Amino acid sequence: MSRLGHQLERFGLLLVWLAVIALFGAMRPDTFLSWSNFSSIFGSEAVLVIVTLGLIIPLTAGDFDLSIAQTLTFVSMLTALLSARMGVELGYVIPIALAAGACVGLVNGAITLYFRVHSLIVTLGVGTFLHGVTLWMSDSQTISGVSRALMQYVIINRIAGIPISFYYAIALAALVWYLLSYTAFGQQLLFTGRGRDVGRLTGVAVGRVRMSAFVASGVLGAIAGILYTGTTGSANPTSGTTLLLPAFAAAFLGATCIKPGRFNAWGSVIAVYFLVTGINGLSVLGFRTYVHDLFYGGALVVAVMISQLVSGRKERVL
Amino acid sequence: MIRVAKITGMASALILAGLLPASAQEGVDKAKANIAAYSGVPEFVPAGEPFDAKACMAGKKIFTIPASSAIPFIKTISDHKSKLAAELGFDHMEWENQGNPTQWIQGMDFAANNGFDLVSLLAGADPRFFEPQVLQTQAKGVKVVTSHLTGLEQDAPAGVDAAIAIDYRKAGELMADWTIAKTEGKTNALVVVSNEALSTDSIVSGLTEAFETRCPDCKYEIVNVPITDWATKIQPTVAGALQANADLNYVIPIYDSMSTFVTPAIAIAGRGDKVKVATFNGTPFVLDLIRASDVEMDIGENLDWIAHAMLDAEMRLLCGKETIRDSKVPLRVFDAANIAEVGAPADAAKGYGDAYVAEYRKLWQIAE
Repeated sequence: MSRLGHQLERFGLLLVWLAVIALFGAMRPDTFLSWSNFSSIFGSEAVLVIVTLGLIIPLTAGDFDLSIAQTLTFVSMLTALLSARMGVELGYVIPIALAAGACVGLVNGAITLYFRVHSLIVTLGVGTFLHGVTLWMSDSQTISGVSRALMQYVIINRIAGIPISFYYAIALAALVWYLLSYTAFGQQLLFTGRGRDVGRLTGVAVGRVRMSAFVASGVLGAIAGILYTGTTGSANPTSGTTLLLPAFAAAFLGATCIKPGRFNAWGSVIAVYFLVTGINGLSVLGFRTYVHDLFYGGALVVAVMISQLVSGRKERVL
Repeated sequence: MIRVAKITGMASALILAGLLPASAQEGVDKAKANIAAYSGVPEFVPAGEPFDAKACMAGKKIFTIPASSAIPFIKTISDHKSKLAAELGFDHMEWENQGNPTQWIQGMDFAANNGFDLVSLLAGADPRFFEPQVLQTQAKGVKVVTSHLTGLEQDAPAGVDAAIAIDYRKAGELMADWTIAKTEGKTNALVVVSNEALSTDSIVSGLTEAFETRCPDCKYEIVNVPITDWATKIQPTVAGALQANADLNYVIPIYDSMSTFVTPAIAIAGRGDKVKVATFNGTPFVLDLIRASDVEMDIGENLDWIAHAMLDAEMRLLCGKETIRDSKVPLRVFDAANIAEVGAPADAAKGYGDAYVAEYRKLWQIAE
């Protein structure tokens, strides 16, 4: 493949994103191109970015974490109950919530590795179990009255007009990018994902690496859960679960750019904001909500098809 | 001739100009009066004549299929119906389910095969999803009713024997009236609906009629977000509307659980001071949001009152009395002024007084 073709493939989604911005900007320059609109686009989907980052770590190691959205919902509810119902200080709530997420990752990893069951089945089961726990502990109710300080540190405080949760998401993306690209752990994850036997033969502790990936995913799910509660000021026992498919869509879409063929942090961030920009533009133009689905599904399939055409590869990892 | 026409034109314009503000002001006054009428503790109004409920229900059995036992709003009504049935000395069974229509169908079969006299499809178990089973159950002599599903003006769906209704239309009217009253007739609202719910038609018709008849200067846009998409689509839809319409001053999510996704969109846009939320249902966590100033107004219903009213209408049907359409379940407007009455955290049954408890017992002739 030519150098130009390679660069086109790397930055194709970014270019399409810019084209989408230009298109909506030309149609509604007064409202779509306003800074307040971009502040809304960037500030509203930090949770989805973090869930996507949480997915790509086990995906790089060849494992699925279908429980991450339930971890988010469970931790969101735990945060709300501890803060609103039990009056626990945020300084204690956050470490407890993060530890709960890590525990979910440990359980996923332990069952997958010890019993040698496919992660798809284990995380599906653990996620469903967590959903039951969340419904039980909340009595199926939405819990409001969470400490105002949490909202303050998630959506009320702003830098350059953008809610601070966006910067948390970008900081985590930078961390995951560094972890996957510049550390031994990142390389071990990649080897493990590409071929576990080869990984073992080259001295990678495959089990430990996979376990770490599950724990990292659980912790990122927990961070997303805390931010979700901070965004809405409440916790709902079911709504976070709907983020799973958009996060998978963003993870796979993100793998078509920046480092094509690999799940990568910046690709995921671009994918999320590309999708969100499209949805926002359609909303600003007053399109009905079913058009959002047409865009979401269509963009995913078309982007992957174009990426395949540009790369000209016969066979891809994804 | 031209001069005469000019004078006539000017006179008409003056008359119109004189009339319009009066008419607009009349609309605002009507809206304010409506809100005031629904802001106090509601009064009990019986749905029919007193009857000896204990005697006529002896040996009869009622079977309730709630839309989902996992939704506390509905589960609470169902549980309260069981307690009332025990007090009146007849059998009542709730078909526990997770909101899956196949579970509703299993419930219909169970009721038809186990000697129940009436099946109550409660608060969202929509018979249009299982019309053949309704017919089969009715063929075995079992009455099938929908309870708390339709508005007063809506006919019984899918051939059921009765539709015990709620005044959803009034709820829609009150949401519009609230914004008309607060903005002095300058409402610019985004109305978020879910068209698949049967009650939506009724709520929206009340809301649009109030705007059309009382507020010539009001503007509103209705957007549909299906229930399964609330978590993913309400926030971007509201965010988009806030960007597209700088003059927006109200968001009206017609079911208050939507508010969870509406308030972050307003907060992120930094428009909390100008854009308010008015909604319907009286769900406790949304009442708490009034206390936190994230929601301005919520129209509520008392769940225990609903249980009494639904059972009253169901018993009347089984006892050969009149078929009740209007359950007479009252609505109350909650805002910052009366939110203290619902408790902290809010309780779904508080804030409506308790006179109805004794009144229903008098109506059923089990108390003086």
